[in-house]
Amino acid sequence: MRIIIAGAGEVGFHLAKQLSSKEHDITIIDLDEAQIEKTGSASDIMSFLGSSTSIKILKEARVEDTDLVVAVTSNESVNVTTAILARKLGAKKTIARVGNAEYTSDENLDMIKSLGVDYLIYPEELAAREIVKLIKHSAATDIVDIESGKLSIVGIKIDENVPVLNMTMREIAEQYDISSFRVAAIHRGNETIIPSGDNRFKLNDHVFVITTQDGIKDVMKIVGKHEKNIQDLMILGGGKIGRKTAKLLEDKFNVKLIESNSDKAIELADYLRKTLIIEGDGRDIDLLAQEAIIDMDAFISVTEDAETNIITSLMAKHLGVKKTIAQVDNSDYVPLTKTIGLDSLINKKLIAANVISKFIKRSNIISSLSLPGLDAEVLEYFVKEGTPITKQMVKDLKLPKNVVLGGFIREDKGYITVGTTQFQTDDKVVVFALPEIINKVDSFFN
Amino acid sequence: MINYKVIFNFLGFLLILNGIAMMFGIPFSIYYGDDDIFTLLFSGLSISTIGFITYYLTKDSNKDIKKREGYIVVTLGWLIMALFGAIPFIVHGSIPSVTDAFFETMSGFTTTGASILNDIEAMPHGLLFWRSFTQWLGGMGFIVLSLAILPILGIGGMQLFVAEVPGPTKDKIHPRIRETAKRLWGIYVLLTFVEVLLLLIGGMDLFDAINHAFTTMATGGFSTKQDSIAHFTSPFIQYVIILFMFLAGMNFSLHYYWLHRNFNPVKKNEEFKFYSFLIIAFATLIAIGLFMKGNIGVEKAIRDSLFQVVSIITTTGFITADYELWGVFFHALFFLMLFIGGSAGSTGGGVKVVRHLLLIKNSALELRRLVHPRAVIPVRYNDNSVSKDIIFNIMAFLLFYIAIFVTGTIVMTLVGLDFLTAMGSVATSLGNVGPAIEGVGPSDNFAHIPDIGKWILSFLMLLGRLELFTILIIFSPSFWKK
Repeated sequence: MRIIIAGAGEVGFHLAKQLSSKEHDITIIDLDEAQIEKTGSASDIMSFLGSSTSIKILKEARVEDTDLVVAVTSNESVNVTTAILARKLGAKKTIARVGNAEYTSDENLDMIKSLGVDYLIYPEELAAREIVKLIKHSAATDIVDIESGKLSIVGIKIDENVPVLNMTMREIAEQYDISSFRVAAIHRGNETIIPSGDNRFKLNDHVFVITTQDGIKDVMKIVGKHEKNIQDLMILGGGKIGRKTAKLLEDKFNVKLIESNSDKAIELADYLRKTLIIEGDGRDIDLLAQEAIIDMDAFISVTEDAETNIITSLMAKHLGVKKTIAQVDNSDYVPLTKTIGLDSLINKKLIAANVISKFIKRSNIISSLSLPGLDAEVLEYFVKEGTPITKQMVKDLKLPKNVVLGGFIREDKGYITVGTTQFQTDDKVVVFALPEIINKVDSFFN
Repeated sequence: MINYKVIFNFLGFLLILNGIAMMFGIPFSIYYGDDDIFTLLFSGLSISTIGFITYYLTKDSNKDIKKREGYIVVTLGWLIMALFGAIPFIVHGSIPSVTDAFFETMSGFTTTGASILNDIEAMPHGLLFWRSFTQWLGGMGFIVLSLAILPILGIGGMQLFVAEVPGPTKDKIHPRIRETAKRLWGIYVLLTFVEVLLLLIGGMDLFDAINHAFTTMATGGFSTKQDSIAHFTSPFIQYVIILFMFLAGMNFSLHYYWLHRNFNPVKKNEEFKFYSFLIIAFATLIAIGLFMKGNIGVEKAIRDSLFQVVSIITTTGFITADYELWGVFFHALFFLMLFIGGSAGSTGGGVKVVRHLLLIKNSALELRRLVHPRAVIPVRYNDNSVSKDIIFNIMAFLLFYIAIFVTGTIVMTLVGLDFLTAMGSVATSLGNVGPAIEGVGPSDNFAHIPDIGKWILSFLMLLGRLELFTILIIFSPSFWKK
């Protein structure tokens, strides 16, 4: 596919890197030469220096032959204008990143579409929704829904209290009922393992499990994690994510929100009627103590500054808060934060990229996902008639190493793959694989 | 950690390419009844077998090529291509000395065109074909060719591309490096094909037409005739070769644009304008000079002057007239032209026109900057301002170029050459031109240079072809620091 990405910031950079390695033709437009250089040296792309709202530059980038234009600069107006112009100049589909809930609301969606913007993403809102999911399933470190939750990928930390510690997958299968989930990937140190029967759970592993809707409970039971009962929670940072998260949570939970900017705090107090807004610096330990951080069940740090988020979360963890969620958009920090004991990370750009990837069709792949820190491909394949994958049961397929056909969706219902599963035409299969064997996996679906 | 496995994997592939390419000359040997059929078959098969084994043993390597691997692959790749490419000359015995065979092959791959052969016509056709073919492969670059053939992962391909095709401007004509490589080679093949047709129309036989088209498009300069193009007295043939040397010395992304009926980038391109201006200026000056010396018609004066000027500026090195017989003024002009070079992104070597252009602009602007110390006066190129980094890079390039030229000259005098010959041989090797002045002028060859001198010149050719930095980087301590 020919794709133009406007904006080489965090989201654009990540998208360009992810997509260019998958045989897409990526052209990137940005005003900042340094950003362009950085993106260009990390991925195989063509770049244009200039404004994406310039018709001349869009034409130079051959927008008329483009399948998808993704406008993800930090400026909402630029993004919408870019999308509209691109569409009028002949781009087949356009996506614009916005920072305003008004645009994404159902009543205005049609109007926006009629202008030529096919899809709007609002990463901060997506991030807030993910935080809410993590609060509801507090034992999980990550929850990523596939096909609106028919299957979910759940991340779990293996600590000393996990009963299956040091057991192999095979031993676990013998002792427990594991029909509703499947261990799909293990992140250990800097390494990503796609497990087979002989792999063990080790201390500090970050395990990713694919489950059906009902399977999450079973997973938690086996790893000995019961959902922590959360009632009181504290949000640090009243930016877009914090604000939206508080709004989504304040009806069911007791929410405190700390914001350092007084004007913003007043505005927040106006918007969030049930949340207690506290004006102050979240790094101030006295303030946190005063607001009884010790009694909190969850601590969510979503300031603009990743370092602040990491440090305050560690502090909260140290003081005994059961669940911490930190927004860390800098992927370089991800491996580090896992080792020092943060529970869950929210990465705005990964979330945005995962959503955008649904629009990017590669032969029979419906979508691809990135999980924080995990160096494995998570792909949703569409099973076409007569392809090799439909010919035999999974155990007879002679699949290569380092691939797990985790689960599948058949007639709108999610299932976990077992050895005797035989795929049928129109199934959607969720595959976990290390990047280097994707080509082999592809051949089964073609 | 340097990923040596992937380096060997790639080198294996290059050897397969090398071996197979070698055997392309066999049909001509069969047709002309030459005695090099077995040589080519044996060398070709054994080299590609060695290549295949290397490739096969390392096929499970992690295909992650980073900057450092990129530079090592390209440098080693060029070295082994020249080493293995020399084998058929040695096996056949037509160039018995290893030094000479390596020099000839390196001169081929780097499209220099300096030769040690005293009697080219005595060579069997298969080997002559291989000699021209090395230039054709080296012209657009076999690393770029491999990128078009091999499914190399995106970013690794770019590291290789940058190491083989450096240059101050980046002209990606397609978002994907592999597609860019395919298009560049596509244009190269197309232009070569058209030239073969025109040369056939001009009366060359098929063998000569193919060989000369290869070496013209590569701006190489190897000929199948001892007298180079002077052998073909037909003005038509000479004009065709002038045209294609000119095209080969242009940035190939411009060819891509005009072939797609997009003439704006060509019209806008300042390097192309300056390149054309330099050629016209030198050719006019020399044509007038020749005409005033007398004994020559207007057309012949223009043709001789144009041919020699285009040939030297594009770094091809074909010759239809010995400029050394024209007098010392012309001598000096041609020596100067050795330092111009083709356009960036062309098959030509040398300093490259765009570097001169940007430096001239910068130096001129420096005067204005002195008058207005606080003014912001950027160098503009093709309507865009050029960043200081690029200007510094070009300055460093030119400084290295001059330093290497001076050092090289001194070393060559130590080897036993006279001063002018030493200067000429170093300038022509570093610029990948071919002929130079004095002892290595258009009518001489490099056979008389001592062996050690030939190795030095071979190294300079490679240094020049990869535009200095790729090789210099490998010699810098920071490259090897963890």
